[in-house]
Amino acid sequence: MMTNQGNRVTQGQFSFLPDLTDAQITAQIKYALGRGWALSVEYTDDPHPRNTYWEMFGNPMFDLKDPAGILMEVNNCRKTYPNHYIRVIAFSAVRGVESVTMSYIVNRPKKEPGFGLVRQEIGGRMIRYSIHSYATDKPEGERY
Amino acid sequence: MGIAPGLLVGTVRFFQLLEITMASETMKEGKERYKSGVIPYKKMGYWEPDYKIKETDVLAMFRMTPQAGVDPEECAAAVAGESSTATWTVVWTDRLTACEMYRAKAYRVDLVPNTGPGTKTEAQYFAYIAYDIDLFEGNSIANLTASIIGNVFGMKAVKALRLEDMRIPVAYLKTFQGPATGVVVERERMDKFGRPLLGATTKPKLGLSGRNYGRVVYEALKGGLDFMKDDENINSQSFMHWRDRFLYCMDAVNKASAATGEVKGHYMNVTAGTVEEMIERAEFAKSLGSIIIMIDLVIGYSAIQSMAIWARKNDMILHLHRAGNSTYSRQKNHGMSFRVICKWMRMAGVDHIHAGTVVGKLEGDPLMIRGYYDTLLDTHTPVQLEKGIFFEQDWASLNKCMPVASGGIHAGQMHQLLTYLGDDVVLQFGGGTIGHPDGIQAGAIANRTALEVMIMARNEGRDIWNEGPQILADAAKWCGPLKAGLETWKDVSFNYESTDSPDFVPTTTASV
Amino acid sequence: MNDTNNSDSTTVLADDAPVNLEAEFEASNVKEVLDKLDRELIGLKPVKTRIREIAALLLVDRLRKQFALTSETPTLHMNFTGNPGTGKTTVALRMAEILHRLGYVREGHLVSVTRDDLVGQYIGHTAPKTKEVIKKAMGGVLFIDEAYYLYKPENERDYGAESIEILLQVMENNRDDLVVILAGYKDRMDKFFHSNPGMRSRIAHHIDFPDYSADELLHIAKLMLATQNYRFSPDAEKAFFEYITLRMKLAHFANARSVRNALDRARLRQANRLFANASKALSKTDLMTIEAEDILASRVFIEGKLDSEPESGQ
Repeated sequence: MMTNQGNRVTQGQFSFLPDLTDAQITAQIKYALGRGWALSVEYTDDPHPRNTYWEMFGNPMFDLKDPAGILMEVNNCRKTYPNHYIRVIAFSAVRGVESVTMSYIVNRPKKEPGFGLVRQEIGGRMIRYSIHSYATDKPEGERY
Repeated sequence: MGIAPGLLVGTVRFFQLLEITMASETMKEGKERYKSGVIPYKKMGYWEPDYKIKETDVLAMFRMTPQAGVDPEECAAAVAGESSTATWTVVWTDRLTACEMYRAKAYRVDLVPNTGPGTKTEAQYFAYIAYDIDLFEGNSIANLTASIIGNVFGMKAVKALRLEDMRIPVAYLKTFQGPATGVVVERERMDKFGRPLLGATTKPKLGLSGRNYGRVVYEALKGGLDFMKDDENINSQSFMHWRDRFLYCMDAVNKASAATGEVKGHYMNVTAGTVEEMIERAEFAKSLGSIIIMIDLVIGYSAIQSMAIWARKNDMILHLHRAGNSTYSRQKNHGMSFRVICKWMRMAGVDHIHAGTVVGKLEGDPLMIRGYYDTLLDTHTPVQLEKGIFFEQDWASLNKCMPVASGGIHAGQMHQLLTYLGDDVVLQFGGGTIGHPDGIQAGAIANRTALEVMIMARNEGRDIWNEGPQILADAAKWCGPLKAGLETWKDVSFNYESTDSPDFVPTTTASV
Repeated sequence: MNDTNNSDSTTVLADDAPVNLEAEFEASNVKEVLDKLDRELIGLKPVKTRIREIAALLLVDRLRKQFALTSETPTLHMNFTGNPGTGKTTVALRMAEILHRLGYVREGHLVSVTRDDLVGQYIGHTAPKTKEVIKKAMGGVLFIDEAYYLYKPENERDYGAESIEILLQVMENNRDDLVVILAGYKDRMDKFFHSNPGMRSRIAHHIDFPDYSADELLHIAKLMLATQNYRFSPDAEKAFFEYITLRMKLAHFANARSVRNALDRARLRQANRLFANASKALSKTDLMTIEAEDILASRVFIEGKLDSEPESGQ
């Protein structure tokens, strides 16, 4: 079990808050749509801090007017992967940004085993570090 | 540039001269102009009110307080002259050069609002000066500054002089690397989006052993901060040599990363006596897996550029502490504005720079600070006199530099910080984390929770400026650490009048 | 959250609380849209009456909600039948606006699609395509023109059925999020509903758009010209009426759309005529006026054929 605040992976914008309700998710999507950002739903069963590429639950959604379509995909993804990490991501295409502008987790496994720190002692007092996700001891898709 | 010899003598002569001629007629080229002797700068071609600014010109704007009796236009011409080709006397060797081009041109002088007769302040003037791009070596802040602020600040003709703003032409900007990493890539590497980053400086500043120091780093990072930071004067002293600090801190960073599932960092201050030593420390930080290193402004512009190039080559975020800047940026009548430092540092290639908090313990008028932030973050900055921005600036494709807000800020001000400073900033809560009554982790939790709850409320369309305290109080009901933090710091604020405020607002804005 | 369609359902009014239908109507600004519809569309009396009826129904429904007499969002999906060019798309646009003002859709935009936008050509292609369109339409109105092309009974493996399946689900489960309007020729829509009873049962309002009379089409033509700063000469007006009468009997007649095309061609002929007499100085009136000869040159008069048909002998 993780021993940090909330006993959970704290990636994303709102991991220190209670789990977001659908209404709260919708409000955040609305904020993104209001800025002309595209939204995407992504999921993974390997939350390693440097696992950048979570699986895409369909392509990013462009030109949507209303949050309901994105919330529908969030809920479809939750239905398909109830025990995965799922996040909503917003993208801005504005010059000088052209990158992710929001990222927040909307679904988690029931149990989050977290990570171990593997230390490899080498010359002098140097140490090489690996962060190991306990969940990845099992094959993809069978982890939680 | 050969200005230095005879400068003092030159300025003495200059005064004698002012008594002789105060007329503003321009001299004809040729024989008259290059006759041996001493003539006013204005007549030497450094004052050109009809000058047409070229797209490639470097522009500078100075705030001048001329000595009593000195004509402001002559004073501006002198500043132009002394910051470009002039020496105190006429030299025939000028005629071997395309000297017309090399001369800087003062092209505009305005009286500063609320100065001069009838006010409490003696007369000050804004002098605008244009420099041809060929005056400067590419990719060298040192060369640029040797001209612009090289000699001219000591000239006797001016009682005080302050460099307020500069316009760097795109052609010249393109010779600079710019921020090694930049805001966008830093966020991508950190996997942190849509909110300010959170940091803290390890305290006490001096005396902790490596082992004890790393403890503070681990606690704060595990609690929820993204970054921890060395202070500007933590280098390699007897109480903690640098290798010890690096080793212990990296254990703390990696342990905290495993404990939270997040990317974390500690700004390793590699500031040292020589560039070679700094590179050695930076290499060691890299070999330990650190994602960020730190330098101090006092290492000098060329050293900063060297470190920025190293940082780009080695995937390292480069944090700059502005140590020393207030010796010349704080007083309004002399020195240089911090916004110019921001410009130079973005060119020099740092990724972070301390740029003020508005609400904290250090100097800062809200609009002036916003001006610094814009200078660091904009892709294009329009003229905004109320922010002290006198020139339009196209930033070409230079990366954005992340402003860092540090010094006397705490979770209870989250709504103000977010309103004033926006999303692209590192909020550093040093005392506001480590000074938490329930411990360092609790302090970090309080700050992170306050930030997240405020971001969420703002995105939901709530008026955080007014509802902020209520939003925090509501969150404190379910977040004990936040409750304790708000209790502890509720009465802390620093209400002093700013020393450096804009000239173009009706009243001085007080820091809050 | 301050969605318009939630705000009035939060507090239930007391049984004896008075409500004012007229005030409610005023507040909704629906009248403005109805007036706009009146100005924009000539004739179409039965359609306009139906739209008014639907608006009234929704308004009353909103009041009933305030007394908690209804809680469900009513089914609002519609079916517009009629020949091409009878104003279905325009009315759909206004309908979206009305639904928005009454708080039945959140954004009020119209996403107009045909089979090609919904149905893919390969296995696994259709569902994402249909869903993408649905997501874009959410908060507004999805207008599916010639909806019967979704259903091709002659091809068992046609992917249209998959699209219909998804649409049906959304029409049932996301009634708060979007309104679907199907449109097409009356007879074909009837056949479509006959084979897709599920679709029929989810449509609340059927509106039939009649063809325009020749008089109405002339009126439309004059309005169209006026918006472009053109006008008929008296002779040209007569010629155009004649044109319409002939054109209505030919194939592919598409009401207002055919009128628009005919006017486009008349403007081309006018320009040619003016150019041919380029030596003469032109007045503003010359530049604005369509003459009878600009109309009478149409092959509808000469060969009894459409202008777009191939030349004889080709």
